[in-house]
Amino acid sequence: MMNTRHWMALAIVAVLVAAMVVACSRGDSENRLVVTGSSTVAPLVSVIAKRYEAKHPGVRIDVQMGGSSRGLADARRGLADIGMMSRGLKAGENDVEAVAIARDGICLIVHKDNPVEGLTDEQLVAIYKGEIANWKDVGGADAPITVVNKAEGRSTLELFVAHFDLENPQIKAHVVVGDNEQGIQTVAGNPNSIGYVSIGTAEYDATHGVAIKLLAVGGVTPSVENVKLGKFPLSRPLNLVTAGETTPLADDFIAFARSQAVHDLVEKQYFVPIAP
Amino acid sequence: MAERAQPWGDHVAAVFIWTAAAVVTSVFVWMLADIVWNGAGQISWEFLTAPTDDAGRAGGIGPILVSTAMILGVCMAVSVPLGVGTAVLLSEFTGTNVTFGRLVRRSLDVLAGVPSIVFGLFGNAFFCHVLGLGFSILAGGLTLACMVLPILIRSTEAGLRAVPNEYRMGAAALGISRTSALWHVLLPAAAPGIVVGLVLGVGRAIAETAALLFTSGYVDRMPGSLFDSGRSLSIHIYDLSMNVAGGSANAYASALVLVALLVPINAGISWVADRWLHRRLVR
Repeated sequence: MMNTRHWMALAIVAVLVAAMVVACSRGDSENRLVVTGSSTVAPLVSVIAKRYEAKHPGVRIDVQMGGSSRGLADARRGLADIGMMSRGLKAGENDVEAVAIARDGICLIVHKDNPVEGLTDEQLVAIYKGEIANWKDVGGADAPITVVNKAEGRSTLELFVAHFDLENPQIKAHVVVGDNEQGIQTVAGNPNSIGYVSIGTAEYDATHGVAIKLLAVGGVTPSVENVKLGKFPLSRPLNLVTAGETTPLADDFIAFARSQAVHDLVEKQYFVPIAP
Repeated sequence: MAERAQPWGDHVAAVFIWTAAAVVTSVFVWMLADIVWNGAGQISWEFLTAPTDDAGRAGGIGPILVSTAMILGVCMAVSVPLGVGTAVLLSEFTGTNVTFGRLVRRSLDVLAGVPSIVFGLFGNAFFCHVLGLGFSILAGGLTLACMVLPILIRSTEAGLRAVPNEYRMGAAALGISRTSALWHVLLPAAAPGIVVGLVLGVGRAIAETAALLFTSGYVDRMPGSLFDSGRSLSIHIYDLSMNVAGGSANAYASALVLVALLVPINAGISWVADRWLHRRLVR
């Protein structure tokens, strides 16, 4: 009968699939790395991994995303060879080893023609909360301040609100932007605006004739150099973490990820490379 | 007064209904226009076939399309036989008032309302760790199958129940076995219900992000087998728009591809169901 044959074929396929699952002993773990964690670091590590794979045929690096906490937890439990974290280690996390591969820094920008050179933390918080609405209150011209904020979910926004101890709903923004370029264009096009963007992009654009100016934060000059040295307050390390014994491959990949060979990739993701 | 109030009330109701319909339609049109406007420029054969580059800002979505197709394939290959089987049991072999049937139906309804992130966590714990599949297309497809099953079962069951009882009696009167009657008469006649279930299921599966992030993963390499991790189109869009600065152009293009994919997939399902099931009924 037609139908019995059909059911038999189906059963055979099912058995085959089951056999495949059982037979699959995910071999050659020697040449395989699993990296999980922060969604800020994941795009950077996946392009680094691609370059590493191209240089070492046969090696496979699987990058999975799930947040810094998960990166730490997976590294601890051995589910991942390497975890990714977009923050420094806290007290009580000394059981893992963290290696910074880059830094993420943000800076405040105003229009080039704005006479204001720097703002205190209190002034900044007041401006972003809408309590100071005119530049003349902070030493500038008599003009209303246009506050440019980042869209929800951006890591720059997270870093900004965490540093100034703000909550996003408290911020009275006039313009909400997505990526760094959009923020820079907005500020460059409005002489009375203030915004914040990744420091690498801002410094590049400011030195290449875009009409923006980088503001000092807490008295520290915003520059990639100061982020590199860890002096600039509005920055965080992007870490690769490992727990316990590591494989030679993992060690080699971590060394590669912080070497000169990937600095162009780091800069392309708007992060600041750490010079070894 | 009462005479005048009636037409006035009718008028308000008419305005409300028309406005509601217009709002719903314009939201859809606006969304579609936004995606097409921002995404159509990037679409090319190159974009559809090339591997991703520079974290998705450059290059194409070739491996991502392949991964998406494989995830969807696993999901359908597992959920269709299981779903149709369960639906047959519920509609043909258990009455509406049997406790067992009621229990199954109730649990399916609960399952249909479970948020997808819960399926993702379950899939990660069960398929990835307990069964040791790791981050893989297989784990992702199986997780999606769990998500799609309730929809598929309930609509197939509804389709089977809509088949007139005369069909069953006629088959019995001719001395056809129950299995043959099911295969040659009932399932083909229930085709519309199965198609609705498949279309809804594919729609839910292809749009899924949360459940796949923890099961099929984030790797954008061309998958070599079902045991490789593979990034689905929806996760690619999520990543480009949320994590990659300057990725929004390609996010729009990928979203356009995703929306455009639904049209041929749905047409394909209807065509296959029509051809395969209808021919059986005629013969």
